[in-house]
Amino acid sequence: MADNETNQKPASQLTDAEKDAAVKSTRRFDLRRIIGALFVVYGVIVLIVGLVDLGGDAETKMTGGIQINIWTGIGMLVLGGLFFLWDRLAPVPAEDIVKNLEREDDAKAAGEGDIEKF
Amino acid sequence: MTGVVLAAGSGSGIQLSLGWVDYLMLAIYFVVVLGIGFVARRRVRTSMDFFLSGRSLPAWITGLAFVSANLGATEILGMAANGAQYGMATLHYYLIGAVPAMVVLGLFLMPFYYGSKVRSVPEFMLRRYGKGPHLVSAIAFAVSNVLIAGINLYAMAIVIEAMLGWPEWLAIVVSAAFVLAYITLGGLSSAIYNEVMQFFVIIAGLVPLTIVGLNRVGGWDGLVTAFKKTDSVQHLQAWAGTAVGNVTNPLGADWIAIVLGLGFVLSFGYWTSNFTEIQRALSAKNMSAARRTPLIAAFPKLFIPFIVIIPGVIAAAVLGPQLAGKGGSGLTYNDAIPKLIQMYLPSGVLGVAVTGLLASFMAGMAANVSSFNTVFTYDIWQRYIKPKMSDAYYLITGRWVTVVGVVVGIGTAFIAAGASNIMNYLQTLFSFFNAPLFGVFVLGVLWKKMSPAGALWGYVTGIITPAIVFVWYTFVDPKIFNSAAAETMYGAIISFATVLIVGTLVSLVTKPKPIDQLGGLVFGVGKIDVKGDAMVGDQAWYRSPVLLGVIALALCVALYLPFL
Repeated sequence: MADNETNQKPASQLTDAEKDAAVKSTRRFDLRRIIGALFVVYGVIVLIVGLVDLGGDAETKMTGGIQINIWTGIGMLVLGGLFFLWDRLAPVPAEDIVKNLEREDDAKAAGEGDIEKF
Repeated sequence: MTGVVLAAGSGSGIQLSLGWVDYLMLAIYFVVVLGIGFVARRRVRTSMDFFLSGRSLPAWITGLAFVSANLGATEILGMAANGAQYGMATLHYYLIGAVPAMVVLGLFLMPFYYGSKVRSVPEFMLRRYGKGPHLVSAIAFAVSNVLIAGINLYAMAIVIEAMLGWPEWLAIVVSAAFVLAYITLGGLSSAIYNEVMQFFVIIAGLVPLTIVGLNRVGGWDGLVTAFKKTDSVQHLQAWAGTAVGNVTNPLGADWIAIVLGLGFVLSFGYWTSNFTEIQRALSAKNMSAARRTPLIAAFPKLFIPFIVIIPGVIAAAVLGPQLAGKGGSGLTYNDAIPKLIQMYLPSGVLGVAVTGLLASFMAGMAANVSSFNTVFTYDIWQRYIKPKMSDAYYLITGRWVTVVGVVVGIGTAFIAAGASNIMNYLQTLFSFFNAPLFGVFVLGVLWKKMSPAGALWGYVTGIITPAIVFVWYTFVDPKIFNSAAAETMYGAIISFATVLIVGTLVSLVTKPKPIDQLGGLVFGVGKIDVKGDAMVGDQAWYRSPVLLGVIALALCVALYLPFL
């Protein structure tokens, strides 16, 4: 069978070191970290904009008196922090990651429509 | 902040004035999206990885993707347009028209889909009935999805046009290229990750907009006062004037149309048998996560109307007749949210809101494209054109089908550009395509004697009858319904009734599928193991599907109370 793109060997032959590497790489790109980072960066930007404009009336004229940049900035920072905290407290279980790697042969069979004959 | 005011394209009444920080935030987002595409690409080793994320995602991700796949342009712009045009009655689309169906899907129907290991909804039709209904549902899904992808693309172009002053066609092509890039790279995982990320960004943009908007009109009391002057106060009530034969509400629909058409047929058709949604649940890591997918999605769905409809209502109060294009404003109802963003959000939050809008339309289109390529590759190409090839072959095919889907979507974007209210256009498509599919699906799941011939004829006639109703309403006699929205609801009811009648009659005189082939596909035939693949923690009380479902339904009732 032609192998696609990646030249990795079948997952069933992975050594422990390779499994560790897979777990690390999956956790590094956990979606919660990506969203957390995005919100922290946005939060900082919006908060700075709000603080720089403090006292100016261009912003409050539009919003009817609310310092919306400051409040949104704080809110986004808090949410970003919560995502990091969640990632820290409940990382993806290692066995889930390894199990997914090992299911590759099944996945190929399923993709070829071989699991069920209609 | 110094902002450069960019002139909007000709004819548009919106011009957003973005400062450099706003562009910076937009740029950061686009870099992250492409980054996710490249990371996801490394994990795509089989066609199942590409089309179903290797069935490996946790419930919170699939759940948010489930609600977010629907949170495209049609939702944000369309529901705000409805809020502006019809008022708080738009709540029906959420509280009757979505959440109950999501609960039923999670509690009762998901075990059939996930348990039968099908890769798509048409494939479920193949298992339950056979080739005829399978082919019809695969083709109907493919056609409706490229049309809907066009709506999302068009909406994205409106915002880019207003922001950068690009011509509409250029905005459409550039947006399409971007979606194409990240889906061909990472497949469904890319699409889903971006859906979840955009969900949070759009909320971070719409919450400040709603707060500032309410502040500017003087709170809820200010809205009531404003409507007393201009329009009827019914704009702020959901159920007033819905008596049969005495319809006075702005939506133009009586309670039968709302409950049966919107609440039952259109809503169940969309949420329980539309593959764009179901695909998100099929990518979950096990049965428990798949069942919780629509239930987790129900909670954000309950609260989204308050940051989408209320801005629409505020726009109606502030801009009034201008939104209907009066006085040469160049505005339509679809412009409600972009116009409010222009009026109320200063540089900073403005960048978040604009990023959220663009991200949401991109995600909406990506959801259509990622489900289209799965159905086209597995259900049409693999089944009828090139069977028995290697998995790698179908992976490459899927990438090419994505290209084709996006190119056709560019064409259909110009069809969407011709519709004055994109929500009505979308609901019309649903009454043609989703309503009959749902009829065939639900009969098949409930009644073991429903035959393949009954399914096929029910399906075909169920597509034809709403088409006749639509043509009649549009070209012959526009007086038969009170509004375009009411037409879509009755179109759906008529389609569903056709399927019930034709499907039942034909099934009575034709041969059903032998009972031993229906295990796990029909209620009460065979057993579906919902706990076999349980993982540690699935038994926690807060993960109980029944509990989640009951709370969601109770909230549906509670959230109507302030708007009676």
